[in-house]
Amino acid sequence: MSKDTILTNGRVYDPMHGIEGEVMDIYMSDGKIVEKVSESAKKIDLKGRLVMAGGVDMHSHIVGSKVGFGRAMCPEDHRKDPVPKTKYTRSGVGYTIPSSYVTGYRYSAMGYTTVIEPALPALKALGSWEEMEDLPNLNSGLLPMFCNSMITFDYIKEGDPSGLAAYIAWTLQSVGGLGVKVVNPGGTYAWAHGVDLRDHEGEIPGWGITPKEVTRGLCQAVESLKLPHMMHFHPNNLGRVGNVETTIAQLDSIRDIKGHGGRDHICHLTHMSFETLSSVEGGGNDWGDLESGGLKFAEYFNKNKHFTADMGQITFGPATTMTGDGPFEFYLYQLTGGKWTNIAVDVELPGGAGIVPYTYSPKAAGNSVQWAIPLEFALNVDDVWRCIISTDHPNAGPFTKYPLVFSWLMSKKQRDTWMEGMHKFAHERSTLPSIEHEWSLYDVVISTRAAPAKILGMEKLKGHLGVGADADVSVYDVDTTKVDFAKNPEKIIKTFSESYLTFLGGKQVSKKGKVKGVPNEGVWSVHPELNESLWERINKELEQKMNEWYSHSFHNYPVPARYRAHLEKKVMIDSTSVSA
Amino acid sequence: MTEGTHSNIVCVFCGCLCDDLQLEVQNNIITTNENGCAISKAKFLNHADDRLEGPAIRVNGTSKEVTLKEAIAKAVDIIANSKRLLVYGLSSTENDAHREAYKIAEEAGGVVDNTSSVCHGPTILGTQESGEAVAALGEVRHRSDLVIYWGSNPQFAHPRHMTLHTRAAGEFIKNPKTERKIWVVDIRKTISAGVADKFIRIEPGTDLEVISALRAIVRGKELDVDNVGGLPVSDLKEIAEVMKGAKYGVLFFGLGLTQSKGRHRNIDAAIRLIQDLNHYTKWSMMPMRGHYNVAGANKTSTWQTGYPFAVDYARGYPRYQPGEFTAVDMLMRGEADVLLNIAADPAAHFPRKALQHMGNISIINLDPKQNMTSLIAEVNVPTAIAGIECDGAAVRMDGLPLYLKQVVDPPENVLPDRDILRMIYDGLRRAKK
Amino acid sequence: MSRVGVQALLTSGRTLKQGRAMELGKLGPEYLKEVSICEMDKVTLESLGLNEGDPVRVETIHGSVVVTSKLDRRSEPGVVFIPCGPFANAITGSDTEGTGMPNYKSIPVQLFAAKGERILGVKELLNRMVEGL
Repeated sequence: MSKDTILTNGRVYDPMHGIEGEVMDIYMSDGKIVEKVSESAKKIDLKGRLVMAGGVDMHSHIVGSKVGFGRAMCPEDHRKDPVPKTKYTRSGVGYTIPSSYVTGYRYSAMGYTTVIEPALPALKALGSWEEMEDLPNLNSGLLPMFCNSMITFDYIKEGDPSGLAAYIAWTLQSVGGLGVKVVNPGGTYAWAHGVDLRDHEGEIPGWGITPKEVTRGLCQAVESLKLPHMMHFHPNNLGRVGNVETTIAQLDSIRDIKGHGGRDHICHLTHMSFETLSSVEGGGNDWGDLESGGLKFAEYFNKNKHFTADMGQITFGPATTMTGDGPFEFYLYQLTGGKWTNIAVDVELPGGAGIVPYTYSPKAAGNSVQWAIPLEFALNVDDVWRCIISTDHPNAGPFTKYPLVFSWLMSKKQRDTWMEGMHKFAHERSTLPSIEHEWSLYDVVISTRAAPAKILGMEKLKGHLGVGADADVSVYDVDTTKVDFAKNPEKIIKTFSESYLTFLGGKQVSKKGKVKGVPNEGVWSVHPELNESLWERINKELEQKMNEWYSHSFHNYPVPARYRAHLEKKVMIDSTSVSA
Repeated sequence: MTEGTHSNIVCVFCGCLCDDLQLEVQNNIITTNENGCAISKAKFLNHADDRLEGPAIRVNGTSKEVTLKEAIAKAVDIIANSKRLLVYGLSSTENDAHREAYKIAEEAGGVVDNTSSVCHGPTILGTQESGEAVAALGEVRHRSDLVIYWGSNPQFAHPRHMTLHTRAAGEFIKNPKTERKIWVVDIRKTISAGVADKFIRIEPGTDLEVISALRAIVRGKELDVDNVGGLPVSDLKEIAEVMKGAKYGVLFFGLGLTQSKGRHRNIDAAIRLIQDLNHYTKWSMMPMRGHYNVAGANKTSTWQTGYPFAVDYARGYPRYQPGEFTAVDMLMRGEADVLLNIAADPAAHFPRKALQHMGNISIINLDPKQNMTSLIAEVNVPTAIAGIECDGAAVRMDGLPLYLKQVVDPPENVLPDRDILRMIYDGLRRAKK
Repeated sequence: MSRVGVQALLTSGRTLKQGRAMELGKLGPEYLKEVSICEMDKVTLESLGLNEGDPVRVETIHGSVVVTSKLDRRSEPGVVFIPCGPFANAITGSDTEGTGMPNYKSIPVQLFAAKGERILGVKELLNRMVEGL
């Protein structure tokens, strides 16, 4: 039980309520933000320090089988960053793929309170729930993948949208998922047949359907189920020069799909930096022809408002790429010649998820353009509420470098400083050098708190400091009236690398970088309730399909209550209107 | 509650983790095990027999039964006064027990290693060099047209592996007898070799050369020798051709590859060969994990410490080094002064010199059954059998986690490993204050 | 006692019977029976002057152990097999060459006929190993 607490004299940024730098008091009681508390409450005078809701990271690889494999295969990554135990925290290792405790503690120390794992092979969910037990100081959630599953293909091939929606609902219930993840739809599957399918209108071997049909089918299913979080989309043809065109084509192909309840956004495009590579005029697909597609994509983004996007910002330095896009990882392995892992998964990801350690260098031609792309994009969008800061941790960089990303967005001076040492392509192949625009602090707060909470469908309780919200609060040691972040970018990094105070559900869990380890605050999931006859149908059909295709029993598929009941924060969704 | 039929039970013997066992329970005894292999039947039908006597403390060679409280207190005392604790085993118990073990090792500043160090540790070392293209059991059945067992004798060590996975029909291989070939590579003709489509005999200790030669041939190089590992180069060329021509090949490999000369270099070479083949067609590989939850031990260790085995906490944070913090080495060098052994039998499976040192140190042994380690342990604590008498989670050889149900009640006063370990941990914390 | 022997490489591993016997009880008679054997080919057996079932002494630089000889019709001279367990370990070295893994496969051995010699029980063997004998 957290003590009643009043944070006085904080300078609050709460974009969901339009509050921008107002000095006000925040009242916390029983884990929630409340209107007032008793006089005996603990008072903390923040003396004008910056206050915002706890950070919400909607896309970061923190638990699961590929994260584990990545850790296991790269001991050299961890050796550089050992983390001793303290009175209040367990030991572990850091660097690009921190161990479970350190992941929670470091996010907490930075002022983050909610982090979502964006790619779960649903049949392995039990393992992720076990790991959640050891992920301290955070709220979390899991996004199961559906787009390379033979069961999905079966329903789409049969033209059975109800069946597809029911399969999704059944899976989300069984494994406690938060939404639908789509990763290289059909492409990873095709690779099990040795085919590198990157054309979204190409044929998925053996099924007679296209990736486009899969993407559309899943997108429609999400809307018909009325899931809060829209389809979370990693498109086909990732990581290839010229793919800004193919990404736009894929987004165009779902533009007509109606959002439930009239909502505008029916897709969240993730780590856009990897899928908005353009080619120079008259150029081809060689890395030498690479040009930033950031501006082009921003123009498309501003005109077509049916989706949101997160940046996938390259931070330079070591990273570990890991994604359900097996063929892309194989391609990267061929470029690097280093370590490469591929993990096949029964039925749901036959081609396999891939892992390749990678180091981004500012002196490398390609990497310097990759760095410029999401910045060029973010600095040209007309609606920051649709543009989320991320590094697709640990793919483009570790989450501990978020403050560095803030500094590039907020300070032209910082961008210029960094570009000085960079390969000339950063200058020649992007418009970034000429961009004067700088994100304000308010923009950053939107992009790291309010907007991701909204996109995840968690805006009632997360991402803001209004009455009724969970008391997830971060305080930073800066008086925003006395600092010019744009002119002093080192201040941005210094300020945001470590919160002055972090509160999780009203509990003080971090002060000036010293973390108090507390258990996982909760794993958020959705429970789409189907009507009775559809529920009966799907159970019958899935039992039959699973017995035929899987190598374990339908009855052993769901994650048992014993591993989730104490952690799960289930949101009930009425999906009974999906016809049987 | 336990009486009657229990279906879809997960077997807790080998890394296959077959989850289709059907058990009958009468009077808290398992009376039938449908679907289990001979070893599975032996484990499930004899669960009540041969239990470890205790809790007991051995004084001057004589074992005396004591209360659980006394046994725990003694264990705590031994650990609290140790200089270099080695926690070992873990592969035959469930994941929650592992997590308690890491807490103890961290608290005591000791080492925690699991049985993979003498099993597929070299496989892990290989993946740390090169990565690994890992297969999935269901996909093998659906897609593979060529399966190789290298240094593995599944008919003996993983009895249902061939029946359930490599000889079974799948979605795209409707007739495995004609559409799939199974090869066995080994230094002697094992029973598995006897039922395979092709047996390739190589000379002992030549795996690294043979695999490297295959790699070279796959890459189009000419060898300037006539034969490698007892195989004529013409045979190797043919093998390479067939491997390149397969649509979906899978290499299962066992201790014949990890334990023989070259060890992790053998695995590294195999990994690189499979990676190379992926430039031409689809190939993946899978270690034949021996104990049912050794993969789980690697997994739990990795997410908590960053490292899969051989973890040392002496500095207050996890450090990793095979050869330094692996059990056999720590014992052989005489470095460990206390061994906390959980669900394993190092006295039966460790080589002589390591065993000799075990005779000189205090051993705390947690196991459901009598075993060789219990004969020399100072403290013996009987535990519930995970997957039969208590629940938990385990991980299959291809990474699939499965929930182990509790089927019968444990014998009176016998608790699961995780509870015993938690008591030891709590005692240790109190002792340190 | 004959000092005319046969050289071979020793390997160890699981057998179905050893696995089963393990589950029946490590200290029981079935387990002892299944792990105290050495499987060899016909030629080696004959060269030693043994009938199948006679005791054979298996020696390495780490020690020696007496086990029951067994005929493996599939095997060829040069490689003999003792199922994994205390008898194999009694003659296995502990040097892991920095990998954590001892050499359990292809250990150079010398085999000698050991007619009339006794096969130790599991407890006895353990005690001897622990005492460094």
